[in-house]
Amino acid sequence: MTIKNVHDHGQRHRPRVACLKKVEALMLEMQDPTSGVKSQTQRLVITTIPHALTGEDVAAWIAKRFNVEISEACAIGTMMVAFGFIYPLRDHKRLLLKPDASLYRFQTPYFWPVQQWPVEDTDYAIYLAKRNIRKKGVLDLYEQEQYNNLHKWLNHKWDFIVMQAKEQYRAGKERKKPDRVVFDCQERAYWVVHRPPPGTVSAMDLGLLRLVDPNQKETKTPDFFRRIIIFTEQCIMRPRVKSSVSLGAIVKYMTTFKSHDPFFAPVLPSNPWLTDDATYWDINMPYVDHPTRMRVERWTFSFGELLSDPLGRDGFRLFLKKEFSSENLAFWEACEDVKWGTAATIHEKAQQIYKTFLARGAPRWINIDGKTMEVTVRGLKHPHRFVLDAAQTHIYMLMKKDKYGRYIKSPVYKDIQTKAIDPGPHNFSPSQLEQNARKRRPSLSPIIVRQLEEEQKAKLAASGPVDMTQLCRFTAPVPHLAVYSGLCETQSTASPCFAALPNSAACPSPISVAIDSTPASERRFDMHSGTTSHFPSIAESIETSVGGAGEEESPTPVARPRMTLSLSRLLRRGCNASSVFASLSPKCSVAAGSGRVQPLGTEPQPHTQHRRLANFFQIKVDIPPECRIYPIDSEDEEESPGSARGAVKEIICPWESITK
Amino acid sequence: MNHWRRSVGELQARRRQVTECEQALAALSKVTACFQQMASSLGSNTDGSGLREELAEIRAMAHRIYTGLHRRLIALLTETEQAQEDREQVERLWVLFLSGLETFQKDLRKTSSLQELFPLTQRRDRSALVKTGYSGESEVAARAATVQTPWVCVEDEPCPDLQTQISRMDSLLQEMLQRVNVPVWTVEATQKAWVEVEKEEQEEDETLEDLMQVEVVSQDSVTGCCHHLNCRLSCLLCLLS
Repeated sequence: MTIKNVHDHGQRHRPRVACLKKVEALMLEMQDPTSGVKSQTQRLVITTIPHALTGEDVAAWIAKRFNVEISEACAIGTMMVAFGFIYPLRDHKRLLLKPDASLYRFQTPYFWPVQQWPVEDTDYAIYLAKRNIRKKGVLDLYEQEQYNNLHKWLNHKWDFIVMQAKEQYRAGKERKKPDRVVFDCQERAYWVVHRPPPGTVSAMDLGLLRLVDPNQKETKTPDFFRRIIIFTEQCIMRPRVKSSVSLGAIVKYMTTFKSHDPFFAPVLPSNPWLTDDATYWDINMPYVDHPTRMRVERWTFSFGELLSDPLGRDGFRLFLKKEFSSENLAFWEACEDVKWGTAATIHEKAQQIYKTFLARGAPRWINIDGKTMEVTVRGLKHPHRFVLDAAQTHIYMLMKKDKYGRYIKSPVYKDIQTKAIDPGPHNFSPSQLEQNARKRRPSLSPIIVRQLEEEQKAKLAASGPVDMTQLCRFTAPVPHLAVYSGLCETQSTASPCFAALPNSAACPSPISVAIDSTPASERRFDMHSGTTSHFPSIAESIETSVGGAGEEESPTPVARPRMTLSLSRLLRRGCNASSVFASLSPKCSVAAGSGRVQPLGTEPQPHTQHRRLANFFQIKVDIPPECRIYPIDSEDEEESPGSARGAVKEIICPWESITK
Repeated sequence: MNHWRRSVGELQARRRQVTECEQALAALSKVTACFQQMASSLGSNTDGSGLREELAEIRAMAHRIYTGLHRRLIALLTETEQAQEDREQVERLWVLFLSGLETFQKDLRKTSSLQELFPLTQRRDRSALVKTGYSGESEVAARAATVQTPWVCVEDEPCPDLQTQISRMDSLLQEMLQRVNVPVWTVEATQKAWVEVEKEEQEEDETLEDLMQVEVVSQDSVTGCCHHLNCRLSCLLCLLS
């Protein structure tokens, strides 16, 4: 039973279908015996059928009628075929007008698409049943699938459908043979248009159903005038831009993006919508190993383009790591997360962001001006979705003005550019195109795409904070003792320390991890492997630093992380560093390779983060004035939970009451 | 009410009524199928006053059938004493009747709009008729004329004109949906899918592709002839040629 209580305003109210009335009028003109299209006879084995048209005649008639080129006339003709007003007699599944001697015929008005009611599934079921009755096994695969579906969904009227199909079949037999051929052709053409087989492009994608007829003249009620008044008031209130400015912007946009627009320039390797070959989509997936050249080129257009592409952002992140200012990007991403995340998590995320980026003495402190900071901190008392907007914009501008330009000139970007793939065009032959059409498969399910995205995010999160800033805050001399009590000037001294850090390829902390194979150390490794891969200090420097750390161990009330202890113990035991490293190198490489990918494991994430932060602060207290490179494990959680935790004070957000 | 208390006569009468309804439904189906076949040539070069008159006649016949059927089914469904197996069958008939009416109403609407689009009141209107390749001679109308209502037509209200019939049918459908509470999903098909394929209907009928073989093709082409299950005759020919 079709549901009748919905006011079905039908096809005529769908905006795209307004042209059907015009095509109707055109069809009627074409019928004129004197001025219409020439008709011929179609010769079949069994009979001859009149009123056939050749494609070239139709195209020529349209060209003359509208005074256009033949190519445009062909396009109009193809539109008529695609709508179902004219149908091809050969090759009925391809709905286009071929301007040669191939034959077409006019569709009977009963099957025209202008009828104001949507095409019913019941009729389609009757049609399929009729074809079944006529001959066994004539249904195509897609038709069989449809049949099975309809049998399921229209089960309650299936008896009626079969009965009606039989009756229609028998009634059809009362006709003469040529007429039967014609009618069958008509019906088949009708259903090719309205239930297109795979590989057929039908024009009947009607869009959303409108409740108002756009072609109807509106009566001038007071409500009508009220709406016009509101509309004009809003128009006046709108801020206006000088036309020269807006046109200039359009021109600039066009010249930049012209070669990237699939409508203006052919897409390489081939446009999947045209050739049914999905290579283009595959090589342009969000996370792919090597982006295409066009994609890489897009990143140079604007900073926004770079950030909106996940691969672009990855490259930029890598660059920033090398420049030791990746906290900016991390902050920006965190703000985006707040903006786009669920409302329930805003409060928590904002707190985290404050603690990580904004607080005085935060581990990844970002450099924003005092006024913005004041505004943000004030807003954070009552966090909402856009509370970090000002700071985010500031950082965005900072990155754009300073880092973006340098990134485009950097070796990181150049490297990506050289590695970018440049596919050549496909150039399919028509038979290959048909084959592609047959092999069409549905694309990746959005659920799977979502899962892949989540995995990527987890990977990134697992790799942990990657700032040099963190490290250098420890290495720089700290005038005050506790970070949590006063200002910390360390960031200004951060830069000189950078020079001290060597850039090499070995990975220090996996080695230390490997030495001490407690589960805690594994955990530590998991969390910080990402960072470690970016702080590849040479073994010797580790030794020295660790040795230094070992010396300083005693005076501090704070418990040293066991990592350092273990390494220093090891070194004191006199292990040959190189042999240690050599024996551990396979692990190292494995670890380095997998470091980024290892998930956080089974321990609860916020817990460990909490501890990590806690550790972070306690260590600051006892750094000697010399610039020392502490291995990343200095920011590990300590191993003796009781003492360490007791000694640590967390950063207290200013809006939280001090109840501890 | 106890089943045993009902007289045999009552039961027989009821069963007769139900059979009558089934026959009427089959007749309605036949008539609507003929109507559809003929309506498909509206607006084509075979359109004319003759065709429209025939359509009006078929319409009238359908009107007689479905009004009668409606009355009888309502009566059957609203009887309070019902045997269970009867009820299911009657409900099934009800749902099928509803579907049939909807399809017929859709055809009527199409007919009405087509008749407006191709008015045929003046001679020059004929030039606008679409040249579809029909020759127009058919026995479909005759087939429709052979249909009779399974009951004696005592009440004979005149058939309304097209517009009135459509609007009356609208209200009839609304009333049917509201008056009797027959949930549509309880009705199941009595035959499984693909059953109609194996019926005896399948005489040696060619597919459209066969029919459309172009004359130009030379004699020894046997495109698609040999893999038809029932086409033994043609296969022989193929073998011979």
